[in-house]
Amino acid sequence: MSTQIIEDRIQSGDNTPQSPLISRGDKRGVTVAVAGNPNSGKSTLINALAGTRLSVGNWPGVTVEKKSAIFEYEGTKIRLVDLPGTYSLSPYTQEEIIAGDYLVNEKPDLVINVVDATNLERNLYLTVQLLELGIPVVIAMNIYDEAVKKGYEIEIKTMEEMLGVRVIPTVATKKTGLDDLLKAVTDITDGTFSHQPKKLNYGADIESAASAVEAQIRNSYPKLTEKYPLRWLAFKLMEKDSHTMEEINIGGTISFVDEKTEHLRKAHGEDIESIMADERYALASGLAHEVLKKPEFRKMEITEKIDKIALNRFLGIPIFLAAMWLVFKLTFDVSKPFADWMNSTASGPFKRWAEVLMSLIKAPDWTASLVTDGVIAGVGSVIVFVPVIFAMMFFITFLEGSGYMARAAFVMDRAMHAIGLHGKSFIPMLLGFGCNVPAVYATRTLENPKDKALTALLIPLMSCGARLPVYVVFIGAFFSAHAGTVLWSLYVMGIVLAVAMGLIFKKTLFRGEAPVFIMELPPYRMPSFKSLMIHTWEKGKHFLVKAGTYILAVSILVWFLLNLPWGVEQKRDSYLGKTGQIIAPVLEPLGFGSWEAASSLISGLIAKEIVVGTMGEIYVTKAEEEKKERPSFREDLRDVVVSFGTAAKAAALNVFSTPGISSLSAEEDEKRAGLKGEIQKAFTPLSAYAFIVFILLYMPCVVVAIAMSRSSARGNGSGSPLHTK
Amino acid sequence: MNLAMLKPGENGRITKMGAVGPLKRRLMDMGVLIGEKIKVEKIAPLGDPIEVTIKNYNLSVRKKEAEGIEVEVVK
Repeated sequence: MSTQIIEDRIQSGDNTPQSPLISRGDKRGVTVAVAGNPNSGKSTLINALAGTRLSVGNWPGVTVEKKSAIFEYEGTKIRLVDLPGTYSLSPYTQEEIIAGDYLVNEKPDLVINVVDATNLERNLYLTVQLLELGIPVVIAMNIYDEAVKKGYEIEIKTMEEMLGVRVIPTVATKKTGLDDLLKAVTDITDGTFSHQPKKLNYGADIESAASAVEAQIRNSYPKLTEKYPLRWLAFKLMEKDSHTMEEINIGGTISFVDEKTEHLRKAHGEDIESIMADERYALASGLAHEVLKKPEFRKMEITEKIDKIALNRFLGIPIFLAAMWLVFKLTFDVSKPFADWMNSTASGPFKRWAEVLMSLIKAPDWTASLVTDGVIAGVGSVIVFVPVIFAMMFFITFLEGSGYMARAAFVMDRAMHAIGLHGKSFIPMLLGFGCNVPAVYATRTLENPKDKALTALLIPLMSCGARLPVYVVFIGAFFSAHAGTVLWSLYVMGIVLAVAMGLIFKKTLFRGEAPVFIMELPPYRMPSFKSLMIHTWEKGKHFLVKAGTYILAVSILVWFLLNLPWGVEQKRDSYLGKTGQIIAPVLEPLGFGSWEAASSLISGLIAKEIVVGTMGEIYVTKAEEEKKERPSFREDLRDVVVSFGTAAKAAALNVFSTPGISSLSAEEDEKRAGLKGEIQKAFTPLSAYAFIVFILLYMPCVVVAIAMSRSSARGNGSGSPLHTK
Repeated sequence: MNLAMLKPGENGRITKMGAVGPLKRRLMDMGVLIGEKIKVEKIAPLGDPIEVTIKNYNLSVRKKEAEGIEVEVVK
């Protein structure tokens, strides 16, 4: 588009100067929404602006993350709300609907629009849409350093004049320009800077239709003009924006819009929505051409160089698999020693200290048992997941932030698409072999609710590390000659079933069109360490709080099952044993219809590895009481510290150790040796195999179930309508 | 001639969009517009999806979606 045209298109606005929203020091403060494309560095900018004041939650009813922060800048209270990263404000993806609804209904005082300076055109397309809303906009021209490095010259002043909004160059990763950005924001909110956005001209045809529609709305639906920005509403009605039509609920009576737009459709022979999108892009392109000068010769960029290898026809998959192996190994090997340390600390010293405390306050036996065996054990079972969740979140965030996640999806999409999944589903599925819990959490990287739900549903079929101890005991007792083959058969069975279930779900529960795959391959970038840490911490904290409370509750419930009626001598007479007796007949056809097996399986709902422990208690009735001397408080404390050191050392060594996934090694202790003898009496080889297959398949542990209900399963039905035909 | 038929390294200009409704809007939101220049960069190791350059950035789409985008070859 030529200079002349773009200048014609941006007329000085009829918008009157805005009065100050609040005066400086006003206690009410201002609400500032942050909008921008994915990969525009929006997240890093928010982190840099808000720092530790950031709080992370979910947008109501959906699993899209909502970040917000409240802080003061030179006497002005600023409430920062991060909108989901979107390319547009169309009504078709969850993220876009959330962002659009927030802007229209919550009416923030101002929008910071984060724009990727290295990719002006596409980013300005969103800017054009934001300006339609009539909310004051400040543009953060982010990743400015990279643009300069590429030899781009962006005329900030010209851009400010053309749009009538402030444009502030920023480098969020280096925290440059943030002060200027906040100053630009407060200058507008307190009236120092008179915000006069130019009215963007969408071309004679659209403008005349829009004016006619606006007039009609003003006459027929004056109420709507109070609630919605008029020009925006006219545009949305012209586009037949399904979401807006539903919201304003004036239904079929908008035939006047069709009348007013009839000539448009006739002249352009296309749907109005496409004409509008075209016009918006024309404006964005015109603007970009006007303010951006690129060097004539383009160097081959680092991203291209990396992708030449990373997405290579032959090397692409091996590199991807190697990267995955590394992530898997680092996640589970680095976290394992810490998990073990937490576990032994909770079940050792902590438990003993609690026992001492209980006897000091002369608590009745059952209270003492509830606290030590119920609460402490419950807390223990939560915190053993903490290291693995944190480690996994760290690496997933790194993969996403660096840009490799999109490549992984690109490489794997065909294989995953065959069973109705998305390329990005592969990583959560793989993590499932280590532990299903972080794997389910990792499904958050998928954008489409349908993809998320289906991936989470298949993850429990990936045989996790906690099931391994059960396999080991049974394989050791019955199939020691073919241990490797039997173990392998279990893992393969899980995978085959996942493929089969994927195909079945595709035909039944998730029938219909598969979500589309239209994905940006962003340039490779080194994520900032601070951003990595904040994300890791926020996601880890989310697990601790949400999952933690439920797991604790269930652990206490199981304690009651095991120990009530109070004073039971035989496990058989406890509620758990009784429940086992009720369930046993159902398991009879499977070959292990004993109350012992049934009770062990019930306990496995908490965590699969507990099955072995419960079997130990139930089958080995005459297990010798441990008669070790009680270590003193000081010995315990020293032990906690020393063992932490050992764990850290082991974690560090694991990083460099040779292949072999160390978390998959299960050691055998004496008690288990006793158990082996008992189960050889109770099971036949066939029923033993049936039992371990059942362990593989019967039900995800409660932590996985909670993670699924918390992070994925919601919103599966009403997915976005964005599917291929 | 559609986008899926272009070979890696070949340039095209978009002449027609076969998609309708949400899919069309999504593609347009990503800058896939009639008249736009588009270059096929790579084909994924397993043969699908493909990577294209459009509006100075990299986008990946499945062949199925690419088949609905008519192009003319540009030298």
